[in-house]
Formats: sequence, structure tokens, C-alpha cells
Amino acid sequence: MTKEVFLQLLDELLELEPGTLTGNENLKDYEIWDSMTVLGFIALVDEHFGFTVSTERLAQAKTVDDLVALLDGRVSYK
Amino acid sequence: MIEMSVARVANVRLTGIAAAVPEQVFGLEQLSSEFGERDAQKINDLTGIRRRHITDANICTSDLCYAAALQLLSDLECNVATIDVLVMVTQTPDYILPATSCALHGRLNLPKSCSAFDLNLGCSGYVYGLWVVSQLLASGHLKRALLLVGDTISKLASPQDRSVAPLFGDAGTATLLEYDPSAAEMVFVMGTDGSGESHLIVPAGGFRNPRSSSTSERTAREGGNLRSDEDLYMNGNEIFAFTLREVPTMLESLLEAAGWSKDTPDAYVFHQANRFMLEHLSKRMKLPTDRVLYALQEFGNTSSASIPLTLVDQPPSSLKDGTSKLVLAGFGVGFSWAGVTLTCTSPKISNLVYLQHRNSEVST
Repeated sequence: MTKEVFLQLLDELLELEPGTLTGNENLKDYEIWDSMTVLGFIALVDEHFGFTVSTERLAQAKTVDDLVALLDGRVSYK
Repeated sequence: MIEMSVARVANVRLTGIAAAVPEQVFGLEQLSSEFGERDAQKINDLTGIRRRHITDANICTSDLCYAAALQLLSDLECNVATIDVLVMVTQTPDYILPATSCALHGRLNLPKSCSAFDLNLGCSGYVYGLWVVSQLLASGHLKRALLLVGDTISKLASPQDRSVAPLFGDAGTATLLEYDPSAAEMVFVMGTDGSGESHLIVPAGGFRNPRSSSTSERTAREGGNLRSDEDLYMNGNEIFAFTLREVPTMLESLLEAAGWSKDTPDAYVFHQANRFMLEHLSKRMKLPTDRVLYALQEFGNTSSASIPLTLVDQPPSSLKDGTSKLVLAGFGVGFSWAGVTLTCTSPKISNLVYLQHRNSEVST
């Protein structure tokens, strides 16, 4: 999966128009990024990448790029 | 390869199941008044929990299990003098001591020859209870066992903690099992990961951190939640991650050990934690989703009681007439998990018992 496609999945999770997120956004600026949406993120990664993200690292994530980094290179940058 | 124990138990039949819930119901209104309408609705949508039955201060786990047991014994016309063993599974006992099983032994007028003891487990507790009881019966020395499983977990949740308050309901259940050489084999798979100890915990009130004025004080925690150390703490992310890590493996090993395919069971009954998690799990495992049963919409997460309560509230049609093949699986607090493949032939499924608020009268 490319980073672009992954960002679109995050757009959908955060109820944004496709193509909104670019990576440097702060998660705390999105009111919808709460404990329930975080569960949705864990499910999204499990569904599309087949693994469970590190909950410690997820708790530290501050930006959208931090979420991308949790995938440990499973997304390509073209 | 698989780090789980497999146990096979023959000669034991599940004869019947009953469940009791408090009559008092909390719904969206209570959630909205505490957390606001928007959050309440979001919580509802994610968890799938629309209502929960909640005890008042006068109703304990034992009262719910007692009501369920009376209903079951009456429906089965079972003479209490024939019960050889009583096992109680709960994490919300009446007292620190004596064991709730002993108290219920007295109230149910069970004979002095009947052994009684408690098991302290939650989400996985019903399946562990079935395993222990069926092992006790399998040799034929003991003929009949009453398994009482229930919790009043709502009493441990801070009403101002949105990570737990909207989730939990209360229930007590009773299951009768008997020695029967013609019964189909049950296959169990169990596992434990004690490194999960701190992720679902009531930190104070035991002997590690005894109650004190400071442990009872509710203070602001993560996400603006108010909670004391005597209240239930749950790290939802850790629980979800644990579930994704262990439960698919457990179910795969269980089906394999039993020689069942995913299409063999007439119903899958999982611990009723939340709908989002169970739907994700079912989808990812490619289970026949129409056979995955849900009762959490009406009762929330009732801890150890959730599996038998679901069978009483949403009995699969095959359970009512003829032989039914079931997969039951519980997972959570501990971390602890257990699954069983169960083949039942026309067990008695009692009508759900509603225990009235305050005066504890029983109605069905």
C-alpha cells in the first residue's frame, strides 16, 4: 500500500474528505481523534496490514506521520 | 507451536441454563446526562450497547445467581439433594470471606455432602467454570453439578469514567451439568498472559493496596475521566490489541482440536465486550457472521455472565429442538482466555428472570 492510500484510509477514519491529510497534521487538532477512534485505527491496521500496532508507540503518536511510522515501512512512498 | 492447553472431556452433559438480571435499566439518557449527547451517541454506536440492567446497592451477585438457580432447578424439577458440587465464578463476591459458593450452598439448601468453592475469573470465567466442573464430573464419581456464574461489575465502574461506565451491566446465571456417558466430547482450549495484569484492574481494596482515604478519592485521570483506585480501570487499546493477538489463534486451535470447520457450529457465543470488537474479529476470521450471537445491546458487558446470558436471551433455534453445536469463548481480565466446543442435546433454557429493584422479589 502506498502512503497516499493509507492517508485516504485515515481521512475516512477521521471523517475528512479524501485527500485531506498529508502527514504533518497534529492529531490533537482533530476532536474526533478520541479513544474510540483510536480503536478504529487499531482495527484498520489489523484489517489492511494483518498485524497489531504497538500500543505503547501508538500512545506516543502526536502527528499523522507518527501513525504512518507505526507501520514500520509497510507503506511505500512510490 | 500453539502455546495453549487443550483439554478433552467426555461423559458430561449440559442439562440447562438460566439467567437473572436486575430489573432497573440504564439507557442512552443516563449516558447523555453524564457525558453529553454527542459522546453518548458515539459510545452507543461503537459499543452497540443500548441498555444495561444495573443493580441497586441491595442486590449482590449471589442474589442474581440465586434467582437464576431457583428458576433452573424448578424448570428441571431437580431435587437439590442430588447436587454433588457447586462451583461459583465471580469477581464481585458478597464478602472477602466466606466464599460466595458456601453462602449460596446454604441459601439453596444443598446437602452437606455437596462440595462448594469459588473461582476468581471474569471474561473467561464461564468457560473455565465449564472446564473445571466437567472435569469433576467426567470420572462418574460425582453425578450432578451446579455452576453459578455472575458479576455486578457496574458497582466497580466510576460513573464519571467514560472508558468503563457506559459498558458494564450486571447478571447472574446458573448452569446444570450431569454425568452422562452418552454425551458428546467437549474440547477446551485455555491460555493466560499475566503480563496483562495492569490493563484491566481494580488497583486498591485487596491486600496489595488496602483501602484508605486516598484510595477512595476520585481524581482526574487520562481523557478527563474521574476515577479512584478502588474503581475499575480498563485500558481499551491494550484489551483490543490483546484480543486481536490471542483470540483468532485460540479459535483456530479450538476448531482444529475439535475437528470442526468454521461452518460446523450452529452458533458462536463470545464474551460480550463490545460490538465493534466482536464484529471486527468475526470479519477478520471469516466466521459466518449470522451465527455470531449478540445480547450486549440489551445488557452491556456483564463480565463472567455474558456467555450464558446470551444463550438465555438469544438461544439459537437449534438449541431449542435437537442437537446444537456451539463455540463459546471468553477473553479479557487477566489476561485470561478460554474456548470450548460444546454439543448440546435439548438443554433446558429457562426464561430470563428479572430481579426487582430493592425488594428483591423474583418475576419472570
